Amino acid sequence: MKSRTVTLLLMLPALLLLAAVFLYPMLRYGWLSLQASSVLTGLVPVPNGGANWGRLLDDARFWTDAGQTLRFALCSVILELLGGLALALLLHRPLRGRGALRALTLLPWALPTTVMALGWRWILNDPHGPLNAAIHSLGGSSYGFLSTPATTWFFVVLADVWKTMPFVALLLLAGLQTIPADLEEALRLEGASRFQILRRLTLPLLVPYLTLALLFRLAQALGVFDLIQVLTGGGPAGSTESLALYAYLNAMRFLDFGYASTVMLATFLLLLVSLGGGWLLLRRHGLERTTERAA
Amino acid sequence: MSSRSGAGLELRQLGREVGGRCLLDRLDLQVAPGECVALLGPSGCGKSTTLRLVAGLDPASGGQVLLDGVDLSGRSPGERQVAMVFQSYALYPHLSVEGNLDLGLKVRGMARRERQRRIDATLELLQLGELRQRRPAQLSGGQRQRVALARALLRQPRIVLLDEPMSNLDAQLREDLRPELRRLLCGREQPVIYVTHDQQEAVGMADRIALLDAGRLQQVGSPRELYTNPANRFVAAFLGRPAINLLTIEPGRQLGLRPEHLRLGDDGALAARLLRREWWGHQQLLWFDSQWGTLRVLTAPEAPMPQEPRLGWQRQHELWFDTESGARLAA
Repeated sequence: MKSRTVTLLLMLPALLLLAAVFLYPMLRYGWLSLQASSVLTGLVPVPNGGANWGRLLDDARFWTDAGQTLRFALCSVILELLGGLALALLLHRPLRGRGALRALTLLPWALPTTVMALGWRWILNDPHGPLNAAIHSLGGSSYGFLSTPATTWFFVVLADVWKTMPFVALLLLAGLQTIPADLEEALRLEGASRFQILRRLTLPLLVPYLTLALLFRLAQALGVFDLIQVLTGGGPAGSTESLALYAYLNAMRFLDFGYASTVMLATFLLLLVSLGGGWLLLRRHGLERTTERAA
Repeated sequence: MSSRSGAGLELRQLGREVGGRCLLDRLDLQVAPGECVALLGPSGCGKSTTLRLVAGLDPASGGQVLLDGVDLSGRSPGERQVAMVFQSYALYPHLSVEGNLDLGLKVRGMARRERQRRIDATLELLQLGELRQRRPAQLSGGQRQRVALARALLRQPRIVLLDEPMSNLDAQLREDLRPELRRLLCGREQPVIYVTHDQQEAVGMADRIALLDAGRLQQVGSPRELYTNPANRFVAAFLGRPAINLLTIEPGRQLGLRPEHLRLGDDGALAARLLRREWWGHQQLLWFDSQWGTLRVLTAPEAPMPQEPRLGWQRQHELWFDTESGARLAA
């Protein structure tokens, strides 16, 4: 009982900080989502009895964005995990200049998203960007990569994968390094092929790290904002607009703080549900093993 | 020991060099079927290197590994039918005891029923039946060691290699397990190589001992041979506790005298002064100072101490070495 009090006391500063930066804004969103607070009310909050939530349910743009955000998150996270795993396995092998290679791999991740997105926007520029220049020199005519929904969507995912794959690779590399070399040697002595070792030994032991990478990346991808804001601004025709971007537009462009708060809160709830679901699903397979190994 | 030529394991001029550093220098060694040879030596002497070369886990930079006269050099570890018990046991942490045994057989594509039959038999042999569902993390050190052994014996290997299999266990358990290990490993058809840095373990386990230092084989023979007739100073000093007394009596030559060969009395050749006594129960170790330096002497626990102690010995127990090279000299 006494040690529990001490524990609580020791955790108090951190809890207070969390409450200040997380709980308070959430409560504030909750309160604001029940108010009309826009240019029409002179930005003064006026209670409107849940009208914002009713509007949300009927807001096709919100639900379209929700679908787009989910699709973006799933596609990019799956590709990042696969690519990150391949990269980690490659970087784990004893190669000449491995240290330099590892540092180089981290470069895209170290780059600020805004800078990276500007870079991609220039690469894809119609007609002056390097990609179109290359097409020109091959005798083709320039193509508006960022004015067609399909190609835009493709490049948004590609840019995200390119940037965050190193993060996943780094996490998985750390996981690979916790696997003692003699486990693999023992299996090699049994005559296992490289693929069998990967499937029967490496992957099962990496599950905790894969789970961690998945949850981290899913949370970030579902809240994607800066990449899309800079690369496409949500276009063309809203086809790459994410929920975070829509909330931002409501607040900063339409100056409708009441509805922006509603969108924000709904986004947060969706995120919570997806992450919680993902975690529960994976816990059944992987996490219990981690705790067991630690014990 | 069978002496059919070519049968068993033969290492011929086996060597390994990494980055210009020689880890193992042209080792010649033969292990007969059913024989257990201990590779003994201080850390870094090349004993684990040898084991990894036999297993095919590292490439040799020279020489051959022959099994029943067939060169294994080009073969992958999986093709050599070698079983190895690792120092860390290398149990798969995500699998149960049963799963640990099963994985190797599964990888080889053995049928389910046959796998189950072998696993049951091996678990029975090693009395691990009750632990079959446990994960390695839930086992004690001794139990893990037995699982590792079970995994090695399971698929009837043609060579058995053990890399310090007991170094993670406490002294008592080591002593208790030795007879069981011998029963399970030795006297079957396979040649067994047992790597250790513990001479007691080597003496207890092996038919013959190969003593290595700095990548070179110093001597190979039965424990008795190595002890009574060491090829050089290193062998003499490495084997035997308390260690042999090395005395520089004349320039260029050193005299080696084992502590149990020194006789305490009042008529010996060497005057000595008692420094310290260690009472061991069945024996006592006495430390003396003399004109040739400090000497260790083993005596009976109740041996009387003369007024003016002198130490004597028999000529047949003298071991002479070249001071410079450490090579054994004729008496």
